[in-house]
Amino acid sequence: MKKNSPSTSKNEKALISKLVEGDQFAFEQVVSDYHNLMLSVSRAIVGEAFADEVVQDAWISAIKALPKFEGRSSLKTWLLHIVSNGAKTRIRRENRSLSLDDGWQTVSNDKFDSTGHRFDDVLSWEEATPEALLANDQLQIIIEETFQQLPSLQRATLTLYDMEGIKMDEVCNILDISSSNARVLLHRARTTLHQCIEKYQDK
Amino acid sequence: MFQCKDVAEEANNYIDGDLPLRKRIGLFFHLVICSCCRNYLQQIRSTISTVSILRPKEKDNTNTQELAKKLHEINCRHH
Repeated sequence: MKKNSPSTSKNEKALISKLVEGDQFAFEQVVSDYHNLMLSVSRAIVGEAFADEVVQDAWISAIKALPKFEGRSSLKTWLLHIVSNGAKTRIRRENRSLSLDDGWQTVSNDKFDSTGHRFDDVLSWEEATPEALLANDQLQIIIEETFQQLPSLQRATLTLYDMEGIKMDEVCNILDISSSNARVLLHRARTTLHQCIEKYQDK
Repeated sequence: MFQCKDVAEEANNYIDGDLPLRKRIGLFFHLVICSCCRNYLQQIRSTISTVSILRPKEKDNTNTQELAKKLHEINCRHH
């Protein structure tokens, strides 16, 4: 899991200088590194229809503001806040209400008896390490497809917290959600992904 | 008293260290006596690590090279 550094690293300072100087390769690098992440945040806040437009506007705002970037956060966090603010402004008119009711059942009841005990044994996975699991191409595809089918807010919460190592309060700030909602979203995303691996392991 | 169903509901908060002390202790004692839930917790941990390493991405058709070129041009005009 990646952990973001609290301040701008030397490499990042060099990258920002190159961007300000107009280095074409530096532009390709930042777009390649962060565009998908920004899209994830944008989709989570404004939805599919306006997400691309919001990200494009965020990039333009960021490029214009780049000389004023002080490095108090990482470039990634800075970009994510720009796209988040743009998305929040866009959605403000539309009275966004966060719905956690996406057809989710808290826990599949058919796994437990009336006293809350499991009906079946949970066995240890034979291929328990990530490396062993990922050695299987088919499983990789299944995980990727399952991830893409998650609701956008679940995807974004999982991406920012589990993959990017961004702290929970920052995740909530970026996605404009409460901590308890973020916990629910993370639980659902992880549980769905666990179930897809579990089904594959059972085959 | 913690049951297996409670562990399934609280496993993620437990892993993230976001469970109140009372519940944390309850869940811990359940884990001591229940190998199913120990395995379940291990599976959730493996899931998190695996997804973090695989890093699945958003579906996106953006031509990032073209976008980088456009931003580069805007930068040249602006600064």
